[in-house]
Amino acid sequence: MGIQKDRVKFNVGGKIFETTATTLAHAGRNSYFGAIFDGDWNLSDSCKEEHFIDRNPDCFAVLLDLLRTGYLHVPPTLSEKLLFREAAFYGLLDHVRTATRGQFDGDRLRFSRSVAGQAPGDGTAIRGAPDGGCAVAHGSVVHVYDWNFEEHPTINFDYQRINDVGWADPGTLAVAACERLNRSGASAGGLALFSAGSGILRHRFQVAHEDQFKTYTAGALSFSSDYKIFSSCKGRSNEYGIGVWDLITGKQIDFYYEPIGWSLGEADRVQWLNATNCLMVATLFPRKDDCYISVLDFRDKNNMVWFWSDTGAPASDDRRVRDAVAAEEGMSICVVNEYEDLGFMDLRSSAGTVRWCSRSRLVMKGKLPEEPCYPKLTWHEGKLFSSMNDSISVFSGPDWVLTSRLRRSYGGSICDFSIGGDRLFALHSEENVFDVWETPTAAII
Amino acid sequence: MSNQKKRNFQIEAFKHRVVVDPKYADKTWQILERAIHQIYNQDASGLSFEELYRNAYNMVLHKFGEKLYTGFISTMTAHLKEKSKLIEAAQGGSFLEELNKKWNEHNKALEMIRDILMYMDRTYIETTKKPHVHPMGLSLWRDNVVHFPKIHARLLNTLLDLVQKERTGEVIDRGLMRNVIKMFTDLGDSVYQDDFEKPFLEASSEFYKVESQEFIESCDCGDYLKKAEKRLTEEIDRVAHYLDAKSEDKITSVVEKEMIANHMQRLVHMENSGLVNMLLNDKYEDLGRMYNLFRRVTNGLVTVRDVMTSHLREMGKQLVTDPEKSKDPVEFVQRLLDERDKYDKIISTAFGNDKTFQNALNSSFEFFINLNARSPEFISLFVDDKLRKGLKGIADGDVEVILDKVMMLFRYLQEKDVFEKYYKQHLAKRLLSGKTVSDDAERSLIVKLKTECGYQFTSKLEGMFTDMKTSEDTMRGFYGSHPELSEGPTLIVQVLTTGSWPTQPAVPCNLPAEVSVLCEKFRSYYLGTHTGRRLSWQTNMGTADIKAIFGKGQKHELNVSTFQMCVLMLFNNSDRLSYKEIEQATEIPASDLKRCLQSLACVKGKNVVKKEPMSKDIGEEDLFVVNDKFTSKFYKVKIGTVVAQKETEPEKQETRQRVEEDRKPQIEAAIVRIMKSRKILDHNNIIAEVTKQLQPRFLANPTEIKKRIESLIERDFLERDNTDRKLYRYLA
Repeated sequence: MGIQKDRVKFNVGGKIFETTATTLAHAGRNSYFGAIFDGDWNLSDSCKEEHFIDRNPDCFAVLLDLLRTGYLHVPPTLSEKLLFREAAFYGLLDHVRTATRGQFDGDRLRFSRSVAGQAPGDGTAIRGAPDGGCAVAHGSVVHVYDWNFEEHPTINFDYQRINDVGWADPGTLAVAACERLNRSGASAGGLALFSAGSGILRHRFQVAHEDQFKTYTAGALSFSSDYKIFSSCKGRSNEYGIGVWDLITGKQIDFYYEPIGWSLGEADRVQWLNATNCLMVATLFPRKDDCYISVLDFRDKNNMVWFWSDTGAPASDDRRVRDAVAAEEGMSICVVNEYEDLGFMDLRSSAGTVRWCSRSRLVMKGKLPEEPCYPKLTWHEGKLFSSMNDSISVFSGPDWVLTSRLRRSYGGSICDFSIGGDRLFALHSEENVFDVWETPTAAII
Repeated sequence: MSNQKKRNFQIEAFKHRVVVDPKYADKTWQILERAIHQIYNQDASGLSFEELYRNAYNMVLHKFGEKLYTGFISTMTAHLKEKSKLIEAAQGGSFLEELNKKWNEHNKALEMIRDILMYMDRTYIETTKKPHVHPMGLSLWRDNVVHFPKIHARLLNTLLDLVQKERTGEVIDRGLMRNVIKMFTDLGDSVYQDDFEKPFLEASSEFYKVESQEFIESCDCGDYLKKAEKRLTEEIDRVAHYLDAKSEDKITSVVEKEMIANHMQRLVHMENSGLVNMLLNDKYEDLGRMYNLFRRVTNGLVTVRDVMTSHLREMGKQLVTDPEKSKDPVEFVQRLLDERDKYDKIISTAFGNDKTFQNALNSSFEFFINLNARSPEFISLFVDDKLRKGLKGIADGDVEVILDKVMMLFRYLQEKDVFEKYYKQHLAKRLLSGKTVSDDAERSLIVKLKTECGYQFTSKLEGMFTDMKTSEDTMRGFYGSHPELSEGPTLIVQVLTTGSWPTQPAVPCNLPAEVSVLCEKFRSYYLGTHTGRRLSWQTNMGTADIKAIFGKGQKHELNVSTFQMCVLMLFNNSDRLSYKEIEQATEIPASDLKRCLQSLACVKGKNVVKKEPMSKDIGEEDLFVVNDKFTSKFYKVKIGTVVAQKETEPEKQETRQRVEEDRKPQIEAAIVRIMKSRKILDHNNIIAEVTKQLQPRFLANPTEIKKRIESLIERDFLERDNTDRKLYRYLA
């Protein structure tokens, strides 16, 4: 047995650790350990000496174990926050992040934590960020949390009421807000980009009608994979429609004016469809008396390629559509009514009729919650998620059978939920609380 | 109140806000700045990575990220400014070396600085969306060194000078060159393109413009192409050695444009060395080079192909229309085949079997072969010649090769039915005279014709083969039922089906008694076994082997035609016969008789009969006696008939007429077929469709089609539309 050549000795805050260069190589070049062993620093061959690091030894032990085994075990005595800060020092945050969460699986979600804030209720939207953080819109401010639920400075857009938020990239948040009615000029309301970390306004998207910049109220928003941002816009003088901007240049590139007798500018939901390069726009009850769902193609002289409306249906009909989402694989649009009945429309046939799934109203049996919320839909990787009152149902397969239900009886009804960064976030309406659901990491064996 | 007085005072320490030493940031930065200096001065061995990393980390942690970032930029900028002065000071050849050395130092330093500032790179820069340390370091180098006014132009000129030197044959330091070019690409594609590639391409374009002009004035086409090819490989080599791979297409397209595209026409048409000259002299290497070079430019191959096609057509036209050369059909066809072989070889060896060139070759052959109306006849004669004797001693595989080549020519023919007509005649002669060398070869050719033109085309030819086979059986049966006939002359009859064979008017003649008895016996045997048939004797197509004993007892077996046999048999009874007597006794028509006597009496060495008076032609008053002095080295003597192998002018006319006659029903059938499915069609369309349908067999003449339509109208197959006279209507 020869002497192992790649042995390394560390003195971390007075405690001696011995490991191998091979283990440390798992950290990657873009880390403290990667730099230390790069040829330029002439440290690699001094293996007899110990390297001193002026950091916390307990955290170092945990992180070293992470590099050795690939699994993160945090002893109960150790603060998670402290550990994460140490990981950030060594450049190992990505390792920690992947070790804490498994890949998102709608049917294997486990409740991870509840995060409470000080804002009064009235949440409008919650959006999961690609890196696992999230943004919560409450009235006129947006609370931003990083993946570790450290809260960043809040974002406000002149304290205008916020209608929708979305993540343009992991560090940038798009905010759609109402215009300020008694203020003129191009400075109030609309759609803007903010730095998620600092809450600083980065860019304000402007709308020009006949070469004149006008104020507008931005409703729902969506991004396309080729760096465009779409938003429903309500101008002051009937300039309603869908605005399109380039995310990189920030310039307006298109505006789809809503046709007479149709609704686009007040849409509750816009969704970019990657498979067909089209945009779904839905205006829903009760924003309007009737529901309007359309699919727009911006490539060919702004063509409305598909549309559906329930104009003329009696107001008492309990099949008023409350939310709509495009399930891209099936080329269909899924809608939901007040009682969480699901309905489907085929995008390939122009005659739009809703095929309702006569699922029994399991949830509605019994008492009605005091402050009901309308159902919301999300489509993620072939599964359909639908929120109703205080629970979220997961539907799978071609016939959309119910496969899971997520429920926590605290905080009241769920007013919005979102999936991002391998996490599901559910925002409750009564208390300012949102729940985080994660898929556990795979078992070791 | 005492209670109150007793209350303990709790003095809380005044809470200071935790204030970091106000000079903390400056102090820490000074440590880091010193380290950066040391790194740039290659004096980093004493530095502690842990300390520097921790200091940078702490600065960011205490919100001095901005200070750290700007500090790093200004320190690095100062260093690079210094370096650029040093580089600028380097003289002559050491300039590039100095630049390269400093670039390597900068890269190493940048790497180490990035390591120290890694935490800032991850957090502060990430959230503020500023350029990361490494790209920042590169753009600082770009702005302070590469774009430094006194370096920028000098660097470019040095590089271009080196390339120019290498082009003129000098050896340069390619490794250094590669490193400097690599610097450009490391700085980003746009830097490489704007600061080096674009001027490089412009300079190259200028260089090759001048050089190609020089070459074209002084070289012939082959040499020019060699030089162009050499330049092209040099440039590709250059890219591989020290330029960015993406430049390859760009620089080659510059060379292609300047050296080839701009001089394309002149090269191809160059006097005494251009394309035509290469084709004539089989310069495969030059042709291949031309193909490979011209292929690179737009319209290059089109130019080559057009010149080749027009040359081929011109050459072919001369070949087929020259009356001298079409004297001997076999030679004629052989020459066509040779031409084709030559160009096939050119296309396969030099032009990479390019399909478009093959098509051009085919269309050219099709063009000129059909210029000569006798091509179908000649091709058939060529086949005849080969199948008669030419294939003796040739391996089976080679036979196939020759037949395939013939088929190639056949494919070019527009009038395939004319070929069929001739082929049938020639085949009939071959079969009846037993001259075919190889049954397999015959059949193989028929199979080829069948695959080419369909069953209909060869059904009659196959019928001929069947007749030959059944005749053999019939003869066996005949002699089996008449055992007494084994003595005496042997009669071999070939029963030919009318229609399968080329019809010739039966020429009657009086057969000698011995033979006519046998013929009668055969007739009764044949009609006895087959009812409802009619036999007529085609004596003009027969042959006979007879034994003759001449004056001094020389014995010979004479191979003669039936007519000749009839004449010779007469001499069994008398020594001397006049023309008139012979004519009366045999009743052979005068022209045939004259030809037959001519071959018996006038051919030197085969004159078994003497004629009085001696002359070349046969007169009505001539006398004939047996030539007792006849001698020959051979026991068997073949007396040929004087036959024109090639058709005479009237015969040609006749064949032509027969072909035209045969075409009529085919055209009519095509018209009826088309009209039956279309019901109504206008004149132009019907002509087009008929022509298309008959294309595989022959090129239908529009006036002939028109005549056929009229004839069909007369016979109530079609009618003209009442309102639009151009429309025809099919009558069921």
